[in-house]
Amino acid sequence: MAFSGNYMCTSFKQEILQGVHDFTASTGDSFKLALYTSSATLDASTTAYSVTNEASGTGYSAGGGALTNVTPTTSGTTAFTDFDDLTFSAATITARGALIYNDTAAGDPAVVVLDFGSDKTSTSGDFTIVFPTADSSNAIIRIA
Amino acid sequence: MNFTLDMKVGDNKPVDVKTTSNRGFTPQEIAKRCSDRLISVSDTASPLIRDQARAYKNQMEQVIARYMQEAIKSDRTTLYNLLKSQGHGDVAEIIRRL
Repeated sequence: MAFSGNYMCTSFKQEILQGVHDFTASTGDSFKLALYTSSATLDASTTAYSVTNEASGTGYSAGGGALTNVTPTTSGTTAFTDFDDLTFSAATITARGALIYNDTAAGDPAVVVLDFGSDKTSTSGDFTIVFPTADSSNAIIRIA
Repeated sequence: MNFTLDMKVGDNKPVDVKTTSNRGFTPQEIAKRCSDRLISVSDTASPLIRDQARAYKNQMEQVIARYMQEAIKSDRTTLYNLLKSQGHGDVAEIIRRL
């Protein structure tokens, strides 16, 4: 079975308690988003970035694209963080999902698995990952 | 007493994917994404406030698109002059006519 939903990786939850990840803009860790084909099996048990079944094509390099962090903030009792939208330009890519991982920490530890729901394709065009509104109800990563 | 941290990635559709074929995104398409990012209007908000917020969002979207078009035109002027100064007058002319 390929992608089966969106997951915050279990290892990431542990690493948060260990202080492995720093999402602070500019001075924090570097995070990347890698695209995967429908053959990939990524879920909550995914612990790190892997090249297995990673997408390929014009405009995409192994490892994926660098994300721009938005410094974590709070609203009410919820803390959340966000990333700027990511575009692979002039790209010919087909991908079914993605993995956000920490490119700074040793071993490229996984953060979240994203399931696009179906194959998404760009042909000599733009392939853009649009992140949700950064608030306590919608932000990509939230701690309530 | 114990404490539970409820850590979440978007429950339903955490990210959206937008793609194009044989073109880039138009200013209108990007302006829509921009306004979605800036302003989130709850479906459960009071109808009066919700309608006002949506009208404001639509207005913002149009303004953003207009200024994006201005930025594109201005950038083409910069490209035109750069290409022309490098001896690529024919390519510069293509850019100018876009």
